[in-house]
Amino acid sequence: MVQIIGCENRLTSIVRLGISDRLEEFYNTMNAYPGLPEFDYLKPETYAEASEFLVTHAGEARPFIGGTDLFVQMRDRVLRPKYLVDVKGLEGMDEISFDNSGGLTIGAGVNMNRLIAAPEVAEHYQILAEAAQSVASYQLRTRATIVGNICNASPAGDTIGASLLLDGMLNIYGGQGMRQEALSTFFLGPGETILQTGDIVTSIWFPRPPDGVKGKYIKLGRNKLSDLSIVGVTAVGYPDADTVSGTHFKLALASVAPVPLVVEKVGEILGVTPVTEETLKDAAEAAMEACTPIDDVRGSARYRKLMVRNLSLNALKDVWHQLSLLNA
Amino acid sequence: MVVSETKPNPVGESKPRLDAREKVTGAAIFGDDIQFGNALLHARILRSPHPHARIISIDTRQAEALPGVKAVVTGKGFPGYIGLYLLDRHIFCRDRVRYVGDPVAGVAAISEAIAEDALELIEVEYEILKPVIDPEYGVSSEATLIHPELDQYQVASFILPQPNSNISNYFKIRKGDVDSAWDNCAAIVERKYRIPHIQHVPIEPHVAVAQVDASGGITLWGSSQSPFAQRNLIAQALGISQSDMRVIAPYVGGGFGSKAGVSMESLAVAIATKVKGRPVKLLLTREEEFFTAFVRQGLIAYFKMGCDGDGNLLAMENKFYWDSGAYTEYGVNITRASGYSSSGPYEVPNVKTDSYCVYTNHPVGGPMRGVGMPEMHAGLEQCIDELAQQIGMDQVEFRRINCVKEGSILVTGGKMHPTGLLQCLEKTAEAIGWGHKAEASAANKRRGKGLALMWKAPAMPPNAGSSAWVELAEDGRVTVGVGGQDLGQGSFTVAAQMAAAALGVPYEWVRVATPLDTRYSPYEWQTVASRLTWSMGNAVVNAAKDARQQILEMTAEAWDEDLENLDILNGMVVSYKSEREIPLENIVIYGLPKADDQGWIGGPVIGRGKFMPDYVTGLDPETGQGERAVVHYTTGAQAVELEVDLDTGQIEILRGAAAFDVGKAINPELVRAQIEGGFVQGMSSALFESLNLKDGYVQNPSFVDYRIATSSDVPGGIQSIIVEVPQDDGPWGARGVGEHSMVPTIPAIANAIYDAVGVRFDGPPFTAEKVYLTMLEAGIVK
Repeated sequence: MVQIIGCENRLTSIVRLGISDRLEEFYNTMNAYPGLPEFDYLKPETYAEASEFLVTHAGEARPFIGGTDLFVQMRDRVLRPKYLVDVKGLEGMDEISFDNSGGLTIGAGVNMNRLIAAPEVAEHYQILAEAAQSVASYQLRTRATIVGNICNASPAGDTIGASLLLDGMLNIYGGQGMRQEALSTFFLGPGETILQTGDIVTSIWFPRPPDGVKGKYIKLGRNKLSDLSIVGVTAVGYPDADTVSGTHFKLALASVAPVPLVVEKVGEILGVTPVTEETLKDAAEAAMEACTPIDDVRGSARYRKLMVRNLSLNALKDVWHQLSLLNA
Repeated sequence: MVVSETKPNPVGESKPRLDAREKVTGAAIFGDDIQFGNALLHARILRSPHPHARIISIDTRQAEALPGVKAVVTGKGFPGYIGLYLLDRHIFCRDRVRYVGDPVAGVAAISEAIAEDALELIEVEYEILKPVIDPEYGVSSEATLIHPELDQYQVASFILPQPNSNISNYFKIRKGDVDSAWDNCAAIVERKYRIPHIQHVPIEPHVAVAQVDASGGITLWGSSQSPFAQRNLIAQALGISQSDMRVIAPYVGGGFGSKAGVSMESLAVAIATKVKGRPVKLLLTREEEFFTAFVRQGLIAYFKMGCDGDGNLLAMENKFYWDSGAYTEYGVNITRASGYSSSGPYEVPNVKTDSYCVYTNHPVGGPMRGVGMPEMHAGLEQCIDELAQQIGMDQVEFRRINCVKEGSILVTGGKMHPTGLLQCLEKTAEAIGWGHKAEASAANKRRGKGLALMWKAPAMPPNAGSSAWVELAEDGRVTVGVGGQDLGQGSFTVAAQMAAAALGVPYEWVRVATPLDTRYSPYEWQTVASRLTWSMGNAVVNAAKDARQQILEMTAEAWDEDLENLDILNGMVVSYKSEREIPLENIVIYGLPKADDQGWIGGPVIGRGKFMPDYVTGLDPETGQGERAVVHYTTGAQAVELEVDLDTGQIEILRGAAAFDVGKAINPELVRAQIEGGFVQGMSSALFESLNLKDGYVQNPSFVDYRIATSSDVPGGIQSIIVEVPQDDGPWGARGVGEHSMVPTIPAIANAIYDAVGVRFDGPPFTAEKVYLTMLEAGIVK
């Protein structure tokens, strides 16, 4: 951005003052660009065409659906693709389908407001709608998609926890044709996934959920609307005769680890003994122990850990309460 | 006559806003909407990446050679200084940069992208200087001088810079004898608070378009609260006539002070002088808005106050270190205002205050809604609560005893004018149900109530003036010319109401001449300080009365009647004696035939009016004492009821109540809108807002991490109470309320949090994390 002559001298003095990281930060965050960089927009007609273009223009082309994260990163010059390949018009992208045996398939182009409004989601996958409802604002949710939320691979992604706990699988078109990937092994790090160049996620699929499943998503933001989570806790539970407690619990955490985190220990603790106030607390403590948050502008690691404990307890209690009403 | 019984008076009625339809339909024109065609050039600014450095050299040759670049401008050609009260700023930096974002060079190009590319080609060599990032350190002798030339700067007579220091204004109060008063105190509270920098965050970022014609005449279009101040200050800095500088100010998408005085506008003008004939547009990014526009300066405040066993305040000793940033041309008067109001709205016999305006290598401090008062009251009104609690007195009762009443001796020595503060206190306490503790809504919540008082005077020069004109068209419809801006507060609407009432025509007949244009609009100092309804209002009334007088004199002569028997009602000139009547139609342009029908009298009617306070006296520089420090104080009270979530530390404001003495509500709904809007902005600054500065760098220059209250965060009920104790020189008794409504919110919320969970903080924002961790340390949660 700014080239400076006498660069060595300048850097020496900066290092002495210990502000070189600040300087970099200035260029990265403070001195923003006014608009988007130039790019070419393409709208292929087939998956093959789209995928091939992405492969032959590796590093220069990106698939594009809602753009709610992509445009922000382009405006900030974090990403500077030469081509945006609009895949949302491809076959099946805008479809939601459900049947009792086959489960739920949500096309990658289905926006969050449509997902929230879909009766089959509300009836069988309520926790997914609840999580989607917490994303950004209504206006942005007309563009944002659940598949985009997942592929963006932010540890803070609000819908990822629910998708993980409902055993979501991604349908992906790639060089070898269609394949399925489980979400549990999908995330590698912040913004990093197992997707390869040329891969296009066509939809996410969820199996029919266990009978009587209940869920709760608690998002702790700095204010009530459209914030990124300081901590996000997703809990689900369902009657399960194979456990001592008669209930199977699952818990996932957002914003407290490099990737969305499923705390397996919660299920174990609440499976092997009857569910009580005490065991719920033990499970919440286990969630706190399992997470590895960092300090950032949104919150300190210390606060995040404490909030994982408190909100995991609240979420688990809520699910337990919902399940007891079911039994009563 | 029947008509006299129904004499219409739109003043006091909640008339619909003049600009409502335009704004709701999207037809209203804002700065960025104005079209300039292909001639338009786009400007971008190269900014300092260092908080403090000397500029060794700037090489612009490569940037100039980039195709599409039309001009590259640095401080070289612009030696003049600019500033409102203290001329301490160049348009572009010349030898030194003083904050991260300080403008070093500007580029005009055929596109924003090319201008941005050109910035990368400008080579600047800096020598890093040690920054000052703490105002208390800044006043010490070890601190690097940020403005070594301070003693040579031009400055207003009432601002007192301290040469060879970073103190650009030092305001003192020495009233009574504080030192010997402490012995008589039954209770003393001593506290330190740190109030962070915050931003105004108007929805519309700053935008300016400048064009210089062949003869050097300059036109500036901008989102502006202060077209006349911009005309004056930019002309002075460039060494041209004010008459050759024209500022056109369309609708403003929010200002809150950030668009007062001059900031980025002068950059666009300076660049435009190098590309004569072509309009040059500069539009700030949201990030630039956060760190290069005026910020509300930070404050480190020390309070010590004591009272006797009966709850009478005896003494206050306050020290304010204002973190006023790299340039304090505007900020100096904010620190002065906090000094002359430093007792808060209380009568205190012994007061010692030291208010320091301190240069730091932080973003430029400037005016923001309340100019110093929200920051000062944040701590002061918590100390009042603590003091009352220490002597076991109810906080409302304590305030009742001590608050200023008519005739109270003020902190500056003069006497308080009639005020409805006591009424505000009582009505607010009643509205919030003071003394009744309600059950929390859940087992993991704690509920509390808090209350705070406030006062604030317009912070401005003693002789800030207003003017207005009123003219009529053939059909009798009225156009009012004003120079004050409508920032959303409704100033055009109340100007129309007052003109209609003073002239005698229906409100619907009145328009306001917009956009403001210094070539055609009458002079107005600035749209700041909650002064328009009062000051501009007086000018409008005077102009309307002048027009009315012209019409009545003409009619009296034409009808051969006495002036006192004539009136204008509902757009008709009427005689109470002869019962003749004639519509304004045509006569306000063509006049009337003489009584003997031999010739004509009258002609086009144009009324003129002005207002300038002439009674403000100076204050002694050593004691801060004087007869009349300010024009008047608007006073008020605010209360909240809230819940603290013990699991997260989150605060939920359940409801609010507020009462302000506005003298007279010209438009009650607009007053309520101000009371509610200020509550929300105050609440936002109490709970969420902080410009996080680290080594001079803003850590959160975007809405991602600078959170403001959204409509979802606002409580369902804010009860707005209007108290009307008339101001002797206000139109219909009116005084301002625009800023006041956010002044007491931080301490009201802090006092309510204390009521709920028994913890206090050294400053806002009271984020969930801060509240939770404080409760954890206090053992309230585990």
